[in-house]
Amino acid sequence: MTPDVPSVLYELAQLLLRNAQPGVPDAERANALTLSAMLLSLAAEVWDGAAENLVQENRALAVLLDDAAAEGDLRLTALRAENARLRGRLIEAHVAAEAAGDAARDAAIWAELVASTERRKLSISLV
Amino acid sequence: MTHPLEPRLAAYLSGRLPQASDVEVSALERISGGASRETYRFRLAWREGQAAHARQLILRRDPPASLIDTERRVEFEAYRAFHGSAVPVPRMLWLEEADDALDHPFFIAEELVGFQASPQVLFAGPYDAVLPRLAERKWTILGEIARADPAALGLDKVMPPVALDACWIRELDHWEAIFDSDEAEPQPIARAAIRWLRAHPPPPAQKLSVVHGDYRTGNFLYDESGEIHGVLDWEMAHLGDPLEDLAWGFNPIWRFGRGLAGGLIAHDEAVAIWERASGLTADPAALHWWTLFNCVKGQGIWVGSARAFIDGGNKEPIMVYPAWWLLNAQDRAILQVMGRL
Repeated sequence: MTPDVPSVLYELAQLLLRNAQPGVPDAERANALTLSAMLLSLAAEVWDGAAENLVQENRALAVLLDDAAAEGDLRLTALRAENARLRGRLIEAHVAAEAAGDAARDAAIWAELVASTERRKLSISLV
Repeated sequence: MTHPLEPRLAAYLSGRLPQASDVEVSALERISGGASRETYRFRLAWREGQAAHARQLILRRDPPASLIDTERRVEFEAYRAFHGSAVPVPRMLWLEEADDALDHPFFIAEELVGFQASPQVLFAGPYDAVLPRLAERKWTILGEIARADPAALGLDKVMPPVALDACWIRELDHWEAIFDSDEAEPQPIARAAIRWLRAHPPPPAQKLSVVHGDYRTGNFLYDESGEIHGVLDWEMAHLGDPLEDLAWGFNPIWRFGRGLAGGLIAHDEAVAIWERASGLTADPAALHWWTLFNCVKGQGIWVGSARAFIDGGNKEPIMVYPAWWLLNAQDRAILQVMGRL
């Protein structure tokens, strides 16, 4: 998810500390805590599968792009950076397929794009 | 306890009410939401001679960084232009564009008290019987916005006009530039949609209309009879193709998972109500173009929300929630509108 989960958790921790102090208006404290709880729920939902989904997607993209996905570093930040590199290349490949009128290549890219949204789909997704 | 903004706001309002004495601001509290502006309600009390007065007011203040960067004067003037018309809006009172009084620009309006805006409340069950009436009102009011003459309202002075055949490209250029500047990671689905939109432009607009820019369930105040008492959140208002405004509500995101336009009625019924009220027609192909455009626009907003957090301009959780909740859902909406899902 973007922004990345660790940076959001850090800010939520600071927010909770501020709201633990006296003097915060009740309505603002309630609003801050409610939103924090909703974000923590989403972070909890994606936590376990985050690395697995990124590895699967990077492998799928590497095959589609005839690229070599880097898998030496399994930290989420590294996997996300590799994912961004590959998805940037996917855009270039999609443009090229459209320009060439390559329907099969175009269909394969769309299939991967649909699959990418399935990997990222949240339980509360509106679509 | 006293909110730190209360004495500062009272000092500002004392200067705006020269006949008043004992000006007091109390019960100031921030209203949840408001990712583009900080929104507060408060009570203003004052005396004029022997007479005591009090009003419930709303303060809309610019945040340090926003999910939508817009001129508050445009929003203020849009509200003011429609006040007293068939488009219900709260009355605007003061606009302050300098930072001196409250650190950031702001405006103050009357609060419309006693109504709901929340889609979650609307769809929780007790309002089910009035949803068709609410839908009738929703798209009738949007038709009235489309029907209105921007020049007669004076809004062509604050909103740049655009040629009828250039409405689409001005908006698409604007939102593609948001992706260029704000995206934190590549957006292959939105980029593919943008390419399709450029390759298949819509016909020229039927007329130049005021476009609210964010007219959806959740941005108006309703009551238990299904009446709408105030259209809110005009911060993206501009002049353009009226179909843009109609199509924003058809972004699948705004079905709220209920399979109905705005979560309220069938798509074609909504279009028919709007056509009756506006006197315009909604060509299906043009409406499809604008619906896909609005999916791209929505994604641009969520991308911008993430960017405001990442850059540190606004670290509030309200900037994260739209990005986490909606970025992927908006991609799926794009796929759906393009017939890929």
